[in-house]
Amino acid sequence: MADIVAAMATTHTPGLLGWFEDAPADQQQTARNAFQKMREHLAAAQPDVLIIFGNDHLLNWPINNTPEYTVGIADEHTGPADWYQPWLGQAEKYRLKGHPGLARHIVNETGKRGLPFAYIRKDMQFDDAISTPTLWLNPDQSIPTIPITMNCTVPPIPRPERAYQVGKALREIIRKYPGNERVALIGSGGLSHEPGGPRYFRIDEEFDRAFLQWLADGDHDAILRECTLERMEEAGSGGTGELIAWFVVLAATVGGAEVLGYEPSYAWRCASGWVIWPGLSP
Amino acid sequence: MGNVERVDKTLATNEMVYYLRKSPELQRRWCTERAAVCREFGLTQPEIQALENPDPRILMDLGVHQYLVPHILRLTHGTSNVTNKHPSLTAYADAFPRETDTVLKGTKWSTKKDGDG
Repeated sequence: MADIVAAMATTHTPGLLGWFEDAPADQQQTARNAFQKMREHLAAAQPDVLIIFGNDHLLNWPINNTPEYTVGIADEHTGPADWYQPWLGQAEKYRLKGHPGLARHIVNETGKRGLPFAYIRKDMQFDDAISTPTLWLNPDQSIPTIPITMNCTVPPIPRPERAYQVGKALREIIRKYPGNERVALIGSGGLSHEPGGPRYFRIDEEFDRAFLQWLADGDHDAILRECTLERMEEAGSGGTGELIAWFVVLAATVGGAEVLGYEPSYAWRCASGWVIWPGLSP
Repeated sequence: MGNVERVDKTLATNEMVYYLRKSPELQRRWCTERAAVCREFGLTQPEIQALENPDPRILMDLGVHQYLVPHILRLTHGTSNVTNKHPSLTAYADAFPRETDTVLKGTKWSTKKDGDG
């Protein structure tokens, strides 16, 4: 059976790729150090496949149809999408092997549990949600990846407890896969920001630091009680809610997270944070 | 809940931007025959008028999804090097001066000169 061997989460702000050097040098260094630790953690875990969870940002689906989760089931993926290449400062596209066997298993097994996961067979579009973790954590694209995009921004935005329940189901589903794959889970998104909203430049440092402390404390019931969707919306509407991707990963962990860094980066118009979870659910 | 709930999910502009981002041909026509593109997607006259010289506040008042507003601005101003000084961002400073000043005043991205209010 497959096994989950690593769990981590990162901000995916496009500033980390497209205008990284506009931030103060110390913030750039925090990001570099955090990503370095995450790459080392991945190298030690030796995953055969990464599963990245991140906001779909109305990229793969128009606003009249926004699935809660969408799985990329292709043999190979290409990114970033044309529109995002200059935005993300990527003159060249990257090619990323998929894992269609496990991806299709996830689509079908979630369906049996009443979780309507959509899928895209070819030409899934990638923006910062998938590209930022891919280019920083899998820089040579040597680790096959299953992208799972989420609706984090079109009402009704799924609640954290829903994402946590989905994460619990996914943990069981992945472990039922009839292979020996070693799987790493990566949550992509947050922290506080309000992309395109009236408070586009605002960051809620008080919320961010509380959120990271809740993760470090590792009490899942307390996190779910404290970190409501309403609180996330108050911290930055339409963006902070991307942290539901972190809740999917959280569900596969036990104990506190190791917080690798935090920067309230106004240059990147997004509070940036990075964590790994040393403890995984047995 | 927050600003994102002000979206009108049925507004034609919100659908149009999805297709615009995918099509270089539509992006070209956006620059040369914007009103015609808008009519093809079924936009109302107030939507077409708002897109002639896009203002983030007016677009959101119409029900454009907040996440798509910067994309509309980037269709006009380009998508490279989108720092806080990019025209798609200074448009926000103009549309939401109070919200912007409380964050950016005194920083290298402030559009206010010393002595401004």
